Amino acid sequence: MNSHPYLRAYMAGTAVPTMMLLVVLSGFLIARHAFQIPIPIERAIIFPMALVPNIFGVWNIFYLWLRPRPHLPIGLHGAILPFILAPAGFTLATFSGFLSASSGGLVWFHEVVVPYGLLAVGFLFALIAYYLVWKYLVGFFNEVLGIA
Amino acid sequence: MTEPEQKQVADRLKQSLVPMNLELHRDLWPNMLRRIDEGARNRQWFAVLFSPAALSSVPWFDWALLAVLVVGICAFPKSIPIWLYHF
Repeated sequence: MNSHPYLRAYMAGTAVPTMMLLVVLSGFLIARHAFQIPIPIERAIIFPMALVPNIFGVWNIFYLWLRPRPHLPIGLHGAILPFILAPAGFTLATFSGFLSASSGGLVWFHEVVVPYGLLAVGFLFALIAYYLVWKYLVGFFNEVLGIA
Repeated sequence: MTEPEQKQVADRLKQSLVPMNLELHRDLWPNMLRRIDEGARNRQWFAVLFSPAALSSVPWFDWALLAVLVVGICAFPKSIPIWLYHF
């Protein structure tokens, strides 16, 4: 199975966020209807549904392209992704109208206030999450599709 | 039975038996590999991913990172929608 390795890398990369989409949508619905957090689902879902899976796929293609060259292990390669995704997500959320800045911190969905001091901690957590997801989940799918 | 008769019987026995082929006609290793591969393919990917062997190969450092992540989310549950958004 040596044909179309980049296509397989794309498919392996998109698999995890596509599966997560069910969790994301369920979480949004629960947050909106059970906890009354006014999440505009139709706008908030654009980023996790359209952009994140594609960026995962392209990032995995990039990983495969780097393989014959000096490269980082897959976990660390994935941990770089929040440096791209976080600004993109912030920008899209701002333009979609559910992220705004206040004196106390960033306000998500007109309800959740994240103090500026916690942003760095949150970003650190995102690095950890992406490291684990790429090392174990994307790495596993790469193995399954024969490109590990 | 005299000695020549014993020798004659022994010769006839040798002639009647099919000669043993000490060399294999084919390499068995590819078949073995195919069988191992089939076994792995028949298992559900979810079962492989969360098999005891796979879980035991996770280093303690990664378990610690996962624990930090879970504790962080539990400490600040309102951040869950933001996590979901970024995934």
